[in-house]
Amino acid sequence: MKYDNDDALDRALFALPLEEPPGDLRAAILTATVYRPAPLFKPWEIAVLGGVAAVATWLIALVVLGGAPLFVHSLEAIGSTSEDLLSNYSTLAWIAAGGAVAIWLSIFTGFQPSARGVDAHRR
Amino acid sequence: MHAGPEDGELVAMTLGGNAEAFATLVERYDRAVYHLCYRTLHNVEEARDATQEAFFKAYRSLRTFKQGAKFSTWIFAIAYHACCDRLNRNKRYSNEEMPDRADPGPGPEREAIALDEARRLRAAIDALPEKYRTVITLYHLQGKQYEEIAEVLGLPMGTVKTHLFRAKEQLRKLLSAAEVLE
Repeated sequence: MKYDNDDALDRALFALPLEEPPGDLRAAILTATVYRPAPLFKPWEIAVLGGVAAVATWLIALVVLGGAPLFVHSLEAIGSTSEDLLSNYSTLAWIAAGGAVAIWLSIFTGFQPSARGVDAHRR
Repeated sequence: MHAGPEDGELVAMTLGGNAEAFATLVERYDRAVYHLCYRTLHNVEEARDATQEAFFKAYRSLRTFKQGAKFSTWIFAIAYHACCDRLNRNKRYSNEEMPDRADPGPGPEREAIALDEARRLRAAIDALPEKYRTVITLYHLQGKQYEEIAEVLGLPMGTVKTHLFRAKEQLRKLLSAAEVLE
């Protein structure tokens, strides 16, 4: 076949069949995306569980090492510190600001192709 | 043109928790994306991985997809970037030299003698330098929509047109050479 002009070449190009992908490709994509098994715990759940486990370990250690009076004293200390913190508007404002920044940053973590192109391609 | 919902609607449905909607998008574009990856990387395994990576990245950043944009252009851009990353990682990327072929067959000329028209054309495309090959592949996938090809590659439209012109010129030369050998 002759490809003397653009039209003939275009016709040939557009008639060219696409490459046949491996048979399991579609299943692999779906398994990696929409049908991916949900993780047992979400990241924030793991953080909360870790925190709870740490506090529990600390409390158990306090009871084992210092007995009941130290335990009660520690609980009172925790209670009063928490009360002080939560009644301080400045602290609450900083906590709110930190949370807002964390949420804001989490919005921009996804991949976004841009029209910048690939430097290597331009070289 | 696809039967059923438009791509944009499928994206919205996926974001709304409809897994089947994304499966439909995969069904529509996996072959074209694989074609682009294979033509760029020349390796079945790498093309497979790059295709999977492209859809995975697209799925994860579906929220950033702009309503009204073309899903095909978006997914091709992601796939093309994934391919470039792989080429750079493997240090096989060069504009001056022909890329190494991971699955070398007989040379384009000899192959052309033995194979039919489509395979002859494929062999000629494979023999093009990488930048021309990608432009020709996208031209094939996206039709004559230079603007979208430019968007996928991140190149000015003028450059795309120049690349395409030179690619076609080289293709014609390669095909004529193959014909003479026949």
